[in-house]
Amino acid sequence: MLVDAALSPADNTTVTQPSRAPAGRFSRRLTTLILRGGSLAVFAAVLIFFSVSAPYFLSLGNVGNVLAQSAIAGVLAVGLTVVIIAGGGNVVTGGIDLSLAANMGFSAAVYAALSQAGHGDAVAVAGALASGIAIGTVNALAITLAGIIPLLATLGVMNIVAGLELVLTQNTVIPATGDLLTVLSGIGPFDVPALAYVLIGFAAVVALVVQATPLGLRLYAVGEFPEAARASGLSIRPFIVGSFVFSGLCGGIAGILSVSYLSGSSTGAGEFLLPVIVIALLGTVFSRRLVPTITGTLLSALFVGFLVNGFQLLNLSSTLVSGIQGVLILIVVSATTLLRKQETRT
Amino acid sequence: MSTVLSDVGGFNTSSAVLRKVARYALVVALLAVFAVFSIAAPGFLTTANLLSILVNNFTLLAIVAIAMTFAVSAGGIDLSVGTAIDFASFAFVSLVLAGQPVALALAAGIGAGALVGILNAALISGIGISPFLATLGTLFIGRSVQQLLTNGGNPVYLPPAGVPESFRFLGRGIVGGMPVPLLIAAAVILVAFVILTRSRFGRVVLSAGIAAGVVRYSGIPLRSYIAVTYVLVSAIAAIAGLVLTSTVTVYIPSSGNAFLLNAIGATFIGTTLSRHGRPNVAGTVLGVLLLSIVANGLLLTGLNFYWQQVGTGLLIFAVLAVSFANRKAAVGV
Repeated sequence: MLVDAALSPADNTTVTQPSRAPAGRFSRRLTTLILRGGSLAVFAAVLIFFSVSAPYFLSLGNVGNVLAQSAIAGVLAVGLTVVIIAGGGNVVTGGIDLSLAANMGFSAAVYAALSQAGHGDAVAVAGALASGIAIGTVNALAITLAGIIPLLATLGVMNIVAGLELVLTQNTVIPATGDLLTVLSGIGPFDVPALAYVLIGFAAVVALVVQATPLGLRLYAVGEFPEAARASGLSIRPFIVGSFVFSGLCGGIAGILSVSYLSGSSTGAGEFLLPVIVIALLGTVFSRRLVPTITGTLLSALFVGFLVNGFQLLNLSSTLVSGIQGVLILIVVSATTLLRKQETRT
Repeated sequence: MSTVLSDVGGFNTSSAVLRKVARYALVVALLAVFAVFSIAAPGFLTTANLLSILVNNFTLLAIVAIAMTFAVSAGGIDLSVGTAIDFASFAFVSLVLAGQPVALALAAGIGAGALVGILNAALISGIGISPFLATLGTLFIGRSVQQLLTNGGNPVYLPPAGVPESFRFLGRGIVGGMPVPLLIAAAVILVAFVILTRSRFGRVVLSAGIAAGVVRYSGIPLRSYIAVTYVLVSAIAAIAGLVLTSTVTVYIPSSGNAFLLNAIGATFIGTTLSRHGRPNVAGTVLGVLLLSIVANGLLLTGLNFYWQQVGTGLLIFAVLAVSFANRKAAVGV
């Protein structure tokens, strides 16, 4: 939330404005507070509810499991968040990367195929990361050079990449083993799965860069106020390109994680897309100014992870999960929309 | 994003020729694809196959893509068209199974589909959520509801015997030598064309997609227009659900989503045909035709099914790239 503080002149101006109706202002502030705190309160309430009704829920082992289970979607959501920050919040014309899940599936297939062909961990890792970056680069070029809007460009790339994955794997699971995979799928310190540490470590590094460096601040500037950014001498294109290449890299990393999680390449990676979008969009709720942040995305990945995990522990039907996710998006987005309206009114 | 687009020059120098080619990229692509498959795919250029393209590939996607064209025209998008298809299909199948008259089942199907649109309209016009997010939420919820209704996603089959003849007619009937589904698609296309180009409603919807603020400030109740648009989108998609169900006589949960990406693709490919890069009915129809011919042609070439998917993706991508490069040139000048 460091960037929140850096980007908050708007908040200061509203404070210094003479208040015309103190009472109305107060009630408005109260609703704002409720709407803002509401999401955190819901998060807390869900956690409390599950920990009361499912005693195992809050044990260290289970928390570690949730972190590990959220690792793949979490890494992808971090990539998507960076794209949204650089492209702006409008999902149709702004930043979105629909090819992320397909990228993950393809990169996993590349890793598994290389590994099965007898290449070592290093080659397989390089292959997976290179395929991720290549896909990100194609997105970046399609968007900046050909000028296709991101929604369509990444939609097209998604189809092509999903097809390539099928060509490579013939729609079968390619098993893979190796030292790196053993470490990643193993248990780290404090009996917590290694994947949990990967997620936390990765998110922490990206959060530092995005929320505490000049580079990160420029990323926000480019996404939120492109004209102002250009006027102050920033060129926008490198940031857009960079964000898509980075999200491609995230696809590659997630691919490696998924190979370790499933001991091989997976089919049906496309199923990941919607949860990843949900996580990235929900993430804005956990930031004070309702902008996408990496820490917010991490929190929301955990929130969604805990939700799914709690459902499993309570033996509730997994079919309910997507419905709950849908309702969650709508509640959160409605709250955000109402909040934005309120802010523009003051 | 438009600022980014105009930022990128480079095509200004390449004269009007490129722009002309790009403008008609869709028609050129269509002719090229047709020519290539006529030579490369045995059996492509037969009356039976060409008719099969229209009936099997074109019809359903055309109806869904027309629905999507309305949403995109209004400056939005509808990710829940598949949900409307599924809901319509479920209501239709359930009522026919329960022995209700087909006419009633049809009406209920359209109604169930429209219900999806009403939820979208409430979210988009009522609360002001962006269409992408609102319809994404609807998609999720719709998937869950279908799983609950079908005990975790079991298909609902109609028994081959005991299905009313009027039910089959919708999917497999022939009137005046033309298959009924094709006639329905033609009717939907025609009505959509008239609404979008000849009616006040269409004018408002199209201008909402270009400059919503201006429309609002001219005193037009934009919200109601947008609300009606999303209900209309779902109702049209519901028609596709009814035709689909009559053809295959089964309801499979969440099967409607298969149309989503191609419908979006066809609509945006279709924008290449318009001088201003706007969605239009003729462009959408040609876009659907292109996708249908490619799907059918690739199947006939005996190419590996997975390569077919790559091929289709590359083709859509290429058409989009040419089209948007063209648009950028127009913006940049």
